Amino acid sequence: MVLAYTPEQQAFRAEIRGWMEAHVPTEPLVTLECREGFDQHVAWERELAAGNWGMVTWPTEYGGRGLDLIEWLIFEEEYFRAGGPNRANQNGIFLLGPTIMEFGCDEQKARFLAPMARGEVIWAQAWSEPGAGSDMAAISSKAIRDGDHYVLSGQKTWSSRAAFADWGFGIFRTNPDSKRHKGLTFILFDLNTPGITRRPIRQLHGDTGFAELFFDEVRVPVENRLAGEGEGWNVAMATAGFERGLMLRSPGRFQATAKRLVELYRQHEAQASPSAREAVLQAWGAAQAYAYNTYGVASKIMAGGKIGAEASLNKIFWSELDRAMNRTAMQLLGAAAELRRFADGRVNQWLEGYIFSLSGLIYAGSNEVQRNIVAERLLGLPRVGAG
Amino acid sequence: MDFRFSDDQLTLAEGVRDYLTGTHGPEVLRALDAGPNRDPAIWQGLVEMGLPGLLVSEAHGGLGLGLPEAALIARECGRAALAEPLVDVAFVAAPCFARAGDTEAMAAIAAGEKRLPPSHAINPWVADGDGEQLVSVDPLRNLTAASAGCNDDPYLLDLGALMSAAQMVGLAEAMLDQATEYAKLRTQFGQPIGAFQAIKHSLATCAVAIEFARPVAWRAAQALEDGLDSASVHVSHAKLAATDAATLTAETAIQVHGAMGYTYEVDLHFWMKRAWALAGAWGDRAFHLRRIDAAVFGGTLPIGPEHTFA
Ligand SMILES: Cc1cc2nc3c(=O)[nH]c(=O)nc-3n(C[C@H](O)[C@H](O)[C@H](O)COP(=O)(O)OP(=O)(O)OC[C@H]3O[C@@H](n4cnc5c(N)ncnc54)[C@H](O)[C@@H]3O)c2cc1C
Repeated sequence: MVLAYTPEQQAFRAEIRGWMEAHVPTEPLVTLECREGFDQHVAWERELAAGNWGMVTWPTEYGGRGLDLIEWLIFEEEYFRAGGPNRANQNGIFLLGPTIMEFGCDEQKARFLAPMARGEVIWAQAWSEPGAGSDMAAISSKAIRDGDHYVLSGQKTWSSRAAFADWGFGIFRTNPDSKRHKGLTFILFDLNTPGITRRPIRQLHGDTGFAELFFDEVRVPVENRLAGEGEGWNVAMATAGFERGLMLRSPGRFQATAKRLVELYRQHEAQASPSAREAVLQAWGAAQAYAYNTYGVASKIMAGGKIGAEASLNKIFWSELDRAMNRTAMQLLGAAAELRRFADGRVNQWLEGYIFSLSGLIYAGSNEVQRNIVAERLLGLPRVGAG
Repeated sequence: MDFRFSDDQLTLAEGVRDYLTGTHGPEVLRALDAGPNRDPAIWQGLVEMGLPGLLVSEAHGGLGLGLPEAALIARECGRAALAEPLVDVAFVAAPCFARAGDTEAMAAIAAGEKRLPPSHAINPWVADGDGEQLVSVDPLRNLTAASAGCNDDPYLLDLGALMSAAQMVGLAEAMLDQATEYAKLRTQFGQPIGAFQAIKHSLATCAVAIEFARPVAWRAAQALEDGLDSASVHVSHAKLAATDAATLTAETAIQVHGAMGYTYEVDLHFWMKRAWALAGAWGDRAFHLRRIDAAVFGGTLPIGPEHTFA
């Protein structure tokens, strides 16, 4: 166990810090959940890519720097230290990208990865359906083979960023007679293909965060299939592993929130309840614990290990931590918690954060489902029901 | 940067785990409880494994290993609910003697001849001391009043708190294992109770708490080993996280056992009571929370994403 950075890692940190300080927008961007804000976030992705910071762990030929996961964590720490914007590119670089690297053929890697790292193509994830939320194996949208195309029909929903994104990745039933996990196939599609209709959905905060997608005889070339026909479930589970286990929520994000929370407490100390003080300290501790654990997971993967069902422990932990931190902030704000904007015109980011944190226990597999996974796969308790 | 134990470290800890599983099961705890609480044969076995000398330099008859290894083994002692004073003597007192250059004491510890635990001002009582006997909730604790004039060495305190935290990680793991096993075996309404989601989810919540207490303990051990200025805060963090994980797991484990968990007959109570005892030893929850408070709000510890290992 070595819990210190090498001189090279320190130099790398200094390099990112310098770049971030020079480039991170000084005014917060408009929310990602509207056209104007989305475009601002995409412009930021391109600026990052121009600095070669799109996704530092990727090989150079795909627009990365070929760095390791510790360096990625350093990058993320500095990104959140600098207050970098939310990543419009998150579905691509954190979820689909690693999946393509594991399952894609050379042609697909060449075709999709570099434009993804450059922020030229923004991806949406289209797994959920009205009848298939937690129970993803109930997917009924179809992709029927017709010569060198698949014909997609059906409906997807809750697809984040899909209102404005360029491409989507989803799982579809290629074998109409198949049941549950079998007969599903992972397909990439241009969201502007004829036959796709997007219906933006307003979220709790009032903006358009996700969209419903309707597929009406949508023709997608067979070369857009990732891995083999019928292998979609396994590919999707690998993506879900990246989502829950390591990439989606790096610790820097929560450490930055914990630090802001300490500052908020100082401003409101005179009115704060004693329990709020302990909650703030617990927030610092939990964010640190999450960081240590993530360094542990990264070290393990670098030594050839894999993330298994422990990813579910992570997902439960970060989502509940995020909600607890934002809830504490709402309590500290007192009567001002309800304001969308403070009197000085600043957006009440704690309110936005609290609202968003509530979804963290739902997306990427609800925390109830994660607890089932922990109980059944890590503790070995008997499985019940379908799934 | 590599947040992993080496294969050698893990092999060492596994060896201790196997040894304790084989020689120090619940039946041994029950026999000790029925008898005089301590058994020289158990201590002798630990001495033969070289454990009292783990942190003593080779020149003085020890193994010359470091605090991360000691923390790993303290966790195994927790898993086995070991009652012998190994952790307090070998992992808490020995490094202080080493720091003070007391080679005689170090050699005596390594040889297994010195087994009097250290006293510290923070502890009004100590297990296996030479003072007047007290009665602890933990039937195997052998609690005694602390001798007068004990010291307030901050290093000793940090070592004590760190090693209690590591033991509590092991205690929590063992309680989770016991509750999980019970949930697989006990049937009601025609199915194992472990198939009920209420049971699954409670146990999963414990698994989360333990998963995220563990690396805090390891980080604290390494910080103390490396002599970081901030080591005391990390030790307090470890004690807090491990106390909370162990307390939650104890409460959950008894609930999963139903009335069986409320008896003296089921093994669980030995682990639960040790966790209660250690929660207050070497600085209680409030003490460690105050130390974190002083560092975080007092501004002596840099915080934020770029300070993960500050
Ligand atoms: C902000 C946000 C962004 C999202 N982004 C995307 C996206 O980009 N792409 C995408 O495909 N999907 C996305 N989703 C959808 C998300 O994956 C689903 O919401 C999630 O899988 C849960 O499904 P559901 O909403 O249908 O809830 P349901 O499955 O109907 O669950 C409702 C409640 O029942 C509980 N429940 C369900 N099954 C069980 C069980 N077996 N045991 C115990 N409790 C159970 C759930 O935990 C939950 O509390 C997003 C959701 C949100 C909120």
